[in-house]
Amino acid sequence: MELLRPSSADEAAAALGNGSVALAGGTEVVPLLRDGLLRADTLVDVGAAVPRGVDETRIGAGTRLAELEVAPQVPQALREACSLAASPQLRSMGTIGGNLLQATRCWYWRLGFDCWLHGGERCFAKDGAHREHAIFGNERCASAHPSDVAAALLALGATVRTTQRELPIAELYRLPTADDRSTTTLGPDELILELEVPAADASTYLKAMDRRKWAFPLVGVAAVRTGGAIRMALAGVAPIPWTLDAATDLDAATPLPGTAYKVEIARALVRRAVEHVSSQQSP
Amino acid sequence: MARLIRTEKEVEGRYEDVWIVVDEDALDQWPAGPLTTVGRAVPRVDGLDRARGQAQYTADIKLPGMLHTAVLRSPHARARVTSLDLDAARASRGVRAVLGPGELDVLAEEPGYVGQAVAAVAAETFGQAHAAVQALDPQWEVLEPLLNPDEAVRRESFVSDPKTYERGDFERGVAEADVVVEAEYRTQVVLHNSLETHQAICHWEDDGITVYISTQYIWGIRDSVAGHLDLPPDKVRVVCHAMGGGFGSKNGPGDYTPIAAELAKRTGRPVKCALTRREENIAAGNRNATIQRLTAGAKADGTLVALGGEFVNAIGFAGWSASTEGPMKMLYACENVRTVQYPAKLNLPPMAAFRAPGFVEGTFALECLLDELAAKLDVDPLELRRRNYASSDRVDDRPFSSKNLEECYRRAEPHWAKRNEVRARSNGPWQHGIGLASQIWYGGGGPPSYAWIRLGADGRAQVVTAMQDIGTGTRTAMAQIAAEELGIPVEHVQVSLGDSARGPFASISAGSSTIPSMGPAVRSAAADAKRQLIELAAQRFHLEERVLDIKDAQIVSSDGSSWPLTQITGLLEDGQILGKGSRGPNPAGMQVLTFGVQVAEVAVDTETGEVRVDKIVAIHDVGRVINKLGASSQVEGGIIQGVGHTLSEERIVDPETGSILNRTLDAYKVPTIADVPEIVTDLVDIPDEHLTNLGAKGLGEPPIIPTAAAIANAIRDATGADVRSLPISREEMLRALQEARERERRGAPAAV
Repeated sequence: MELLRPSSADEAAAALGNGSVALAGGTEVVPLLRDGLLRADTLVDVGAAVPRGVDETRIGAGTRLAELEVAPQVPQALREACSLAASPQLRSMGTIGGNLLQATRCWYWRLGFDCWLHGGERCFAKDGAHREHAIFGNERCASAHPSDVAAALLALGATVRTTQRELPIAELYRLPTADDRSTTTLGPDELILELEVPAADASTYLKAMDRRKWAFPLVGVAAVRTGGAIRMALAGVAPIPWTLDAATDLDAATPLPGTAYKVEIARALVRRAVEHVSSQQSP
Repeated sequence: MARLIRTEKEVEGRYEDVWIVVDEDALDQWPAGPLTTVGRAVPRVDGLDRARGQAQYTADIKLPGMLHTAVLRSPHARARVTSLDLDAARASRGVRAVLGPGELDVLAEEPGYVGQAVAAVAAETFGQAHAAVQALDPQWEVLEPLLNPDEAVRRESFVSDPKTYERGDFERGVAEADVVVEAEYRTQVVLHNSLETHQAICHWEDDGITVYISTQYIWGIRDSVAGHLDLPPDKVRVVCHAMGGGFGSKNGPGDYTPIAAELAKRTGRPVKCALTRREENIAAGNRNATIQRLTAGAKADGTLVALGGEFVNAIGFAGWSASTEGPMKMLYACENVRTVQYPAKLNLPPMAAFRAPGFVEGTFALECLLDELAAKLDVDPLELRRRNYASSDRVDDRPFSSKNLEECYRRAEPHWAKRNEVRARSNGPWQHGIGLASQIWYGGGGPPSYAWIRLGADGRAQVVTAMQDIGTGTRTAMAQIAAEELGIPVEHVQVSLGDSARGPFASISAGSSTIPSMGPAVRSAAADAKRQLIELAAQRFHLEERVLDIKDAQIVSSDGSSWPLTQITGLLEDGQILGKGSRGPNPAGMQVLTFGVQVAEVAVDTETGEVRVDKIVAIHDVGRVINKLGASSQVEGGIIQGVGHTLSEERIVDPETGSILNRTLDAYKVPTIADVPEIVTDLVDIPDEHLTNLGAKGLGEPPIIPTAAAIANAIRDATGADVRSLPISREEMLRALQEARERERRGAPAAV
């Protein structure tokens, strides 16, 4: 395996695709490579190619979660999502760009079962062990998207700038389909460079996990108030980060027998998050 | 004088009758309470070495020319190997030897669980060995696995015969009861997660073999490796200087030891076989799951008149069946008890002893049942336990060698009395409560065990015994015992252990037996050395032996005069004083047990099912305490492991294939430091006057036993919800809350 270290975004984008994979903090790519879930002839270290740091409402894709959780100009929901993610060691390595592109923690997918998301015929979780799995968008695949940060950015209405385009973060994700099982719209040679995160009047991120630190969300709820409007998004409930237009949308959840409890948690956290941002003054 | 006795030997609650050669245990016990060093807080003698990374674990050992092993493990719960390309593996780069199915007992042709070893490869690097395992290209005929424990009971698929027990007349007891409660409890499979994975390095030298291994029992490894290789045991040397956690899972050789030994024999090179983290979570043993269907009946005043239960131990493919029914038989003075235990054999990874096997699971169920009964009787849970206090062992009708559980209850009172104060902290969805649970367990140790002392001209002593320190602070405790007896500072004692070729036989470090088995032998050896020192001093100073003693490294006479100990030892020059000691017998006709009670304070978010353990007070009666600091560390470790077992840890299995789904530390959730409650340790510290020259019992296991039930009972106190299944995940907590709400709607009173 070859390691490239391009010094510009253009150079990095040119090196991507055709069996080469971008590497930033390595907290996700390295385990996936080790487990044979991701194959790469060439690793492209994008550390010098993508921006890092916070400039008013712009966040470089190479910014570490540990940097964001203490950045005062970053909206509360994103800071909280960062600080509730992973462990201090992982947050010091993991970048926000990489975090958005995480694969699911579905144990069947991670163990390499020939599942629907891997291109196979069936979702093993639906008939099997699925207490960590989805309550929305789970018709073909019950995997849950693990990113706390993505839910926060979705509720904040962030925009993603890549080497090829600018798009609302909601358009970065797609539910996998029969002919394309990927969960993002990012091209193989496309690189996330920057995020534009508009300021909010109030925001928060609440997270239910199996232990108090270092766990992926069973349910994560981001709520953002701008003026009188509140936007919400959920983590850990669908194969992709999930926008919730209203609390009553939870009535439309399609839980599996073992994930019905997640709906109950989501109701409580949504109510708390809405109460919280409704009572907060603008910063 | 050496004496041959027929005695009962107990490890982890299993008894066998054995012949044992013992010496008399002629020493009087020391007075109760803290002494010069025994009974005080002494930092670990090897603490700095461990903190600096200088302590040598098996994982640190790299021998010249050492080969590495990768093991092919079955990906199927039940399958037959139909083809395996051993030649391709042999031809693979760096490979020095390949072992196929059937070449060793531990390499299966028809594996019975996911993770069972099938073949093994030794190569120059682990990467090469791993690549060669891929080259084996195994083909399998996949067979239908048996995964459901109740189904196994129906089919009579057992690892051993079901066990029944009855005293009195259970049916009559139920008929006479004013109140009867019945409930089904379930406990999950939990994994040991030893930080140092299971591993061994085998090295042939001359006509013998040296085994460096992470183990709880170097002598057991010596005998099993000798058996595998058909060698006289003395040709096997076993070394373990520091050990990164075992919790019962490193009592035996596993598959990695015979694999490394055979590969070392075939290649003539040192061979290491170490489980990877993922193998550790499938092939290193586990605490088996249980299903417990229990009944308790009591008179209106709380007197228990019937206890009964069906206990299904979901053992896995192999292993032994721990006494899940033990607490029900032993903890209370109930006249009528009936239990039946089914050891279900399944196509799942085998169990291994895990810190109080059986009793952790059984205590969770029994002590929750007691609180459900207390609620129905409207009797205070602590009072209910006192009313049914067992003042003698009801299983074998014998006296306890000592029992201070009543004193534990007395010490629990001020914490228990805070119930209203704690409940009053409830605010919005967060409900607070207190719960308690009792503990009973073994921990008396036994013979044989031996120790030597050598003392040189400088007046410093070395304890020599071929035991192992499994991370519990054994080196420190043994140094304290020797120092106390010899009358020298603990810094003047060094403990040499961890090598079967250096020192006499010592017991397994399992079943909370290290201190009660080894401590008396060390004291006996120190007393032998001290006797010789006094004899020399008497001759040197022309005094009678009876007026002399040793204190603070001084020879002291009853008339007040004293001389530095080195005035005597200095005469030795290159000579040495050699003391030898052994563990005497356990008290005949008595039951030696440990007891305790834990009080837990919890808070429950009734909307999201989050459970937070705020505080646990742990009060245990384990006889004399040797090292207060080491003892509180043991209690803290046990409770932290218990909190994980109660709230977040669970091995998850695919119900169709029997595959283990959470093999990594992100997916299998041990507690983080943020999950750890405030822990208050209170040890009764009253020596057992009948047990050995120390009166000390073991403390390794007791602290993990009552934790789950204390937490579950606190949850009931806080919310009225009966949690009956471990772990108490969000899902289980919300289910129990929903059930409690429905019960209330139907008009039945909630438990509080």
